[in-house]
Amino acid sequence: MKNDKEGELMSILQQLKFRAKTDDDLLLEPIRISGQEAIFIAQRSLIDLPATLNSLYQRSANPASGCVVLGKPIPDPEEKELLTAILEGQGLLWLEADRCFVAVTPIAKTLSRSIETPTTENVLRGSISAFVEDLDTNIGLIRKHEPSSTLLTREFHFGKIGHKRVVLLYKDDLIEPQLKQSIMEQLNRHAEQELSNLQMLSLILGFPKWTLVTKFNTSELPQEAETALNLGKAVLLVDRMPFAVILPSLLWDMFAVQNDRNFPAVFMGLIRFLRILAVFTNIIIPGLYVALVSVNPDVLRIEMALSIAKSRVDVPYPSIVETLLLLFILELTLEASIRLPKSIGPTVTMVGGIILGQAVVSAKLVSNLLIIILAATSISSSVVVGFQNSFSVRLFKYLLLVLSAIFGVIGLIGGLVIICAYLSSVTSFGIPYLQLYKSGRGPNG
Amino acid sequence: MVKNAQVISMYWLTHIGLIFFLYPADIIESTGAGHWIPILVGYSIHVVVLYVYLKGLRLADGHSLPDILAMAGRHAAAVLLAPVFIYLTLVLIITARAYGEIINLLYLENTPLWATIALLLGIAAYVASLGLESMMRTGLLLFGLCLPFAVFVLASSFQNADWHYFLPVMDERSSSFSFLTAQPFLKSLFAFGGGFLFLGFVQPRLHYHHRKLLLSSLVLLPLFLISVYVPILTFGQNTASTFLFPFLMATDTVDIDYLIFERTTLFFMLSMIVFVIIFLALVLWKTTIIAGRFAKIPIKPFTAVWALVLWLASLQLKDWQNVEELLGWNTYFRLYIMFVIPFITLALGYRHARSKRGDQTYESPS
Repeated sequence: MKNDKEGELMSILQQLKFRAKTDDDLLLEPIRISGQEAIFIAQRSLIDLPATLNSLYQRSANPASGCVVLGKPIPDPEEKELLTAILEGQGLLWLEADRCFVAVTPIAKTLSRSIETPTTENVLRGSISAFVEDLDTNIGLIRKHEPSSTLLTREFHFGKIGHKRVVLLYKDDLIEPQLKQSIMEQLNRHAEQELSNLQMLSLILGFPKWTLVTKFNTSELPQEAETALNLGKAVLLVDRMPFAVILPSLLWDMFAVQNDRNFPAVFMGLIRFLRILAVFTNIIIPGLYVALVSVNPDVLRIEMALSIAKSRVDVPYPSIVETLLLLFILELTLEASIRLPKSIGPTVTMVGGIILGQAVVSAKLVSNLLIIILAATSISSSVVVGFQNSFSVRLFKYLLLVLSAIFGVIGLIGGLVIICAYLSSVTSFGIPYLQLYKSGRGPNG
Repeated sequence: MVKNAQVISMYWLTHIGLIFFLYPADIIESTGAGHWIPILVGYSIHVVVLYVYLKGLRLADGHSLPDILAMAGRHAAAVLLAPVFIYLTLVLIITARAYGEIINLLYLENTPLWATIALLLGIAAYVASLGLESMMRTGLLLFGLCLPFAVFVLASSFQNADWHYFLPVMDERSSSFSFLTAQPFLKSLFAFGGGFLFLGFVQPRLHYHHRKLLLSSLVLLPLFLISVYVPILTFGQNTASTFLFPFLMATDTVDIDYLIFERTTLFFMLSMIVFVIIFLALVLWKTTIIAGRFAKIPIKPFTAVWALVLWLASLQLKDWQNVEELLGWNTYFRLYIMFVIPFITLALGYRHARSKRGDQTYESPS
């Protein structure tokens, strides 16, 4: 019986050695500790080897020697279990004389950046520390912001060997039990799935693939996560993702950030009103231009209609084509300025905006008015809170554009009805997207 | 779930969508002076009917209307619901066609009518297929969005009012109530009878306070008055009676310097069309609910096919004359909806309440 077990242990060791030949990162370092032969096993990139060995030697100098002092012995090791521990940054010690594996806590390498300022969300006044890739740091950041005993965390693991950690945070006294329950059920049910991006997270949470609005908000700012928690929402932190995922996402999140509350209430109201106006501007204006130029010039004042007509005198094609043309170039500029390094970004903006804009008008490809309208459009698409929300807004305007080209102002208003109906039909975990969320209150909206 | 805001805004929205188009012409036609009398009579009928209907619904423990009618037996329910279904279908056809024509008249001279009606019915079918909760939320959202424009136009529509046209306050025809049986007045009930039926369909999935709803109907009274009196105060009875859409003509005369738009009607019409689309969606949804009681059909495909059928039907009407005729025929069904359905609801509600009380007294000794 004993021989059996020993044989098993030896075979595990052999397999680890074999694995080390194909994976150079796996370290099997023979050492001598407390006077006996041992092998230290760990993932080279995750630990600080000299410091760890140093600490091991120090601990082994303790007169009451034996494996217990060095770490926790693993009674019935299995290869998979050991491998998982190593991949998570644990160290293993194989003690030749005692014939046992001991798990030791190594000194880890610092692989995470320190807490920095956010990159996609600017803060004007307020805390500027942003989430980093490291999960525990993020939890710590939230705990600092919200030192409350009702803030509970629940950990989940995803993937075949359970490496990806996801932590669910919620305030037990504020969250609706049903929301908490359904999120946990979804997370438990899909524990086998891999999770490396937000689309996968969306599938794990059971959201449909073809949705036009984000069903969860992401934020880099601990203070936003804190607000969400205090509203009774749930916050998910995913290892290696420098933002919090806030559930559920609602329409109002597009217009309000916690940071607004660092301004006097009047300004806060005005800023939010401005954001609402910006969304309307963005969605409506290109469609309205096409509708008024091509289909319904009669609803404009005659002077206005004439001046628009004058600016389009030499433009050879219908307004829908010129609008789409310029919108396309604008979208390109936007994408390019995201991809390019910061030093080249302004160049693209200048070439795209000023030179191209001017040239396009002089070449009579589009009208002057359209340049103004599309400039307003592209500015206003970025006024909404949350980078992910601006995509929805950017997309919706094309529906209105097409309908306006066919039906004029009626098509425009019809498109608005469709968008409103679509937004009304979106729910996440039974909570309507349009709801004004308050903790402890039933859905109303 | 109590959803007062959603239900009340839907109630307002469906009525406002109907008030400002055909209603003023009918009232102006029905009497030569003292238009407030037919308006008040129509409104009083509306309130009484609404009260009876809501009372019946409450007595029946907030069941939906088809469920309440089913209490009278399966066959009786079919007989009672059939006219409702026909009425709603006719309303859909008439509304789609009439508003399609209005839109073409005002904005889309070169667009074929079938395309305009397809747009109206298509959007309505999409909204209806999303289900009750989404539809009600859409209603509330759009109501909030359109209200400022509608209020702005209503406020500015008095610009050219000449208050002398208010006189005479009444004449023999209006004070003798002889207009009651005249066709124009009966047609004007379209604005009162079209919208309230849905209150019985949203239960029991959405609850609302019946008293608040009844109170909220007070808001409609000034709107009814405005819709008739603005054209009369602007043009006078004789001129106003020659228009097909007197209220729109009256707002067309409003000239506001600081707007870049030529006509304030634009904003008003757009809000009204939004309301009408939601009204169409609501009625479409009601017909699918009724159809769903008698045949097991998947709702979404049925809504699409049904919208297609309605679209074809509305194209069969030759001209405006046809629309008016159909509206005339529909009067009988409308009277049925306005007078028979509420009172039957009340009767069945009483029966339900009594039998429940009976059960309770029977059960209480044990």
